[in-house]
Amino acid sequence: MSGSGSPERFALRYDETIEKSLESIEKLLKARYTFSKRMIALLLLQQDEEIMKMVKLREREFPRIFAVIQNTRSQYKDPLRYVITLQTHQKSKEILAGVVKDSDKKKRLHSVLDRLTIQPLTGIPILLLVLYFGLYKFVGQFGAGTLVDLIEGKLFEAYINPWVNQVVGNLIPWPALQTLLAFDYGVVTLGLRYAVAIILPIVGTFFLAFSLLEDSGYLPRLALLVDRLFKKIGLSGRAVIPMALGFGCDTMATLVSRTLETNRERVIATLLLALAIPCSAQLGVVLGLLSAKPLALAIWSGFIILLFLLVGYLAAKLMPGKKPSFYMELPPLRMPKLSNILEKTLSRMQWYFIEIVPFFILASVLIWAGKITGAFDAVIQATTPLMGALGLPSKAAEIFLFGFFRRDYGAAGLYDLQKSGVLTGVQMLVAAVTLTIFVPCIAQFAIMVKERGWKTALAIACFIFPFAFFCGYILNQALALLGLTF
Amino acid sequence: MDKQTEDDRRNTANKSKPPQPAFRNRKTKLVLVGTPNVGKSVIFNLITGTYVTVSNYPGTTVEVSRGAAKLDRQMYEVIDTPGMYSLFPITEEERVTRTLLLQEKPDVVMHVVDAKNIERMLPLTLQLLEAGLPVILAVNMMDEAKKIGRSIDLDALSQALGIPVAGTAAALNRGMEQLKRMVAQYVRKRVA
Repeated sequence: MSGSGSPERFALRYDETIEKSLESIEKLLKARYTFSKRMIALLLLQQDEEIMKMVKLREREFPRIFAVIQNTRSQYKDPLRYVITLQTHQKSKEILAGVVKDSDKKKRLHSVLDRLTIQPLTGIPILLLVLYFGLYKFVGQFGAGTLVDLIEGKLFEAYINPWVNQVVGNLIPWPALQTLLAFDYGVVTLGLRYAVAIILPIVGTFFLAFSLLEDSGYLPRLALLVDRLFKKIGLSGRAVIPMALGFGCDTMATLVSRTLETNRERVIATLLLALAIPCSAQLGVVLGLLSAKPLALAIWSGFIILLFLLVGYLAAKLMPGKKPSFYMELPPLRMPKLSNILEKTLSRMQWYFIEIVPFFILASVLIWAGKITGAFDAVIQATTPLMGALGLPSKAAEIFLFGFFRRDYGAAGLYDLQKSGVLTGVQMLVAAVTLTIFVPCIAQFAIMVKERGWKTALAIACFIFPFAFFCGYILNQALALLGLTF
Repeated sequence: MDKQTEDDRRNTANKSKPPQPAFRNRKTKLVLVGTPNVGKSVIFNLITGTYVTVSNYPGTTVEVSRGAAKLDRQMYEVIDTPGMYSLFPITEEERVTRTLLLQEKPDVVMHVVDAKNIERMLPLTLQLLEAGLPVILAVNMMDEAKKIGRSIDLDALSQALGIPVAGTAAALNRGMEQLKRMVAQYVRKRVA
C-alpha cells in the first residue's frame, strides 16, 4: 500500500501482555469506528468512560471485552493508563534520541531567570513589583485615573451628557421615557457612559498588562510559585490565571475558570472570584477612595486576602472530591511581540463589549424601572436597620442595591458619597470591604449560572449576600473596639 | 459455477477501478491539534487568512474556530481545536477535541508541536498515528529551539515516523509556504 519512496507509518508495540489483550479485544470489536480498533482497544484498557459507554452500546460481545480488560488490569500493579503512557513516552524518547541534538549554550541564563521567578525568596518580591507597576501604577493610576478623567470628565460630562439631556428633553415629552434615556440614570447618560468612560479605559489597560504578562511567559511561573499555597485552598497553580484575570473582570475570569481540571476546582474558583477578588472597576474606585488613608487601605487589603485564604481553605475542607493535580507546560520566558499583544488586547476588549455592555444597558433599564415603580425606595427603607448595624448611613443602602446591578456602580456611588463628605473614614472602610465581598455584578451572576448551573450559582449568591454584611458588621465592631479612626 | 465466476469477475472489476476521489467535491478538512502554547492559532491564522468563525462546540462551552483556505486549487475547511495533551482526555477542552476528531472525519490532521519541548509532545503524535488518523507533523518554534542550542533532524524524524514533517517558526512567518505545500502534497497523494 505504501506509496513509492514513502516509508511505513510508525507502529507502536507495547509489552507482550498488553499486545495480547489488544489483539483479543480488537477481534471482539465488530462495529465501525472512526479511530482504529487498536486505538479503541487501548482506550478501553485505560478505562476511558466515554469510549466504554460507546462500545457497550455497539458491541454485543461487551461482557467478553470487559473480561479481557479486567484480566489485563489484574496483571499490573499500576493502573494501565500509567503503564501505557510510560511505554509510549519510552518509545517517543527512543525515536528522538537520533533526531534531536542539544548543546548547552544559553540554557544557563534561562534557568537562572526561571529560578528567580519561581523561588519564593525572589519570586514574591518580583510578584509584588509586577503588581505595583502593572496593577497599581498602570491600571489603577493611569487607566482608572488619567484616562477616566479624560474620557469621563472632558468628553462625557462636558459635551455628550449635556447634549443628550438637551436633545431628549426637547424631543420627548414624557418624563418617564426621558429618564429612561437620559439624566441621572439613563441608558445613555449612565449605562453607556459607564461602559465607555469608566470601564473601557480600566479594562483596556488591564487587558493590555495581562496580555504582556501572558506573552512573556511569566504566568506559568507565577502558577508554580503559588501552587503550594493554592493547594491549601483546594485549587492548583493552574487557577492563578483565572484569579489574576479576575482583577480585570470577574465575569471573564469566571468564564475562563472552565479550563480548570475538576468540577470541584471550578466551583471553588467561581466562589472565590465572586467573593474576594475585586474587579478592576472596583479596585480603581477603592484605591481612589482609600489611597489617602494608607492604614485603611492596608486593613482593606489584609481583610480581603485573609478572607480569600480562609474561605478557600474551608471550601477545600468541605467540598467533596479529589485534590487537584498540577501539570503545566513551562514555556520559556520570551520577549513579547507588540503586534500580538495588541491583537490579544483588542480581541478581549471586543469580547467585553459584546458580552458585557448589554448588561450595562439592562442594568440601567432595571434601575430606571426600580425608581419609577418605587421598588427601590421600599428596599432602601427595609435595609436601613441593616445599614445601622454596619454603622453606615441609610444612604449607603442605595450603593449596595446599585452594586447588585453593577459592582462598579456601587463602588462609584461610594465615591460620590465620599465626595459629598457624608462618610467618615471608618464608615468608608466598612463600606468598601462590604461592597468588595458583596454580590457579584449581574453579568457575573449570569455567567455563573451559564457555566456552573442554577444550583451552584444560587448557592454561592445565597452564601455571599448575608456573609458580606456579616463581615462588615464584624469589621465595624472590631474597629470600634480598637478605637481606630482614620 | 456460473455464479462463482461472475462474482469473481465483478471483484476484479472493482479492484481495477481507481478509488473514487470522493472529497474532491466537498471541502477537504484540515484539523489542527496540539497542546496549548505551541502556536496552533498562529498557524491557523496564517493558513486561513481572515474568514474565521468562532463558535461553541455543540453541547459544550468550548470554543472551536473554523476558517477556509485554498491550497493548490483545492478548498479546505480548517479547524483549530482546543488544546490537547493526549487522546485520553482530562479536561473538557480535550474531550471536545477528541469528539471532533471522532466525528468530523478529517482528511488531514496536523499535529503542531513546540520544537523546544518535542519530547513531551511526540507521544501524542504516536497516539494519533495509532488511532489511524491521517497525521502530518508541524514542528513549530524552530527559531526558539535554535536559540537554546537545539537542532532537530526533520528528515530523520519523518523517516522514523513514516509521515511528512515540516519545521516552522510561525510567529515569524517562516516555513509556512513549505508547510502549506506539504499539506497539498499529502492530500494529493491520498486521493491518487
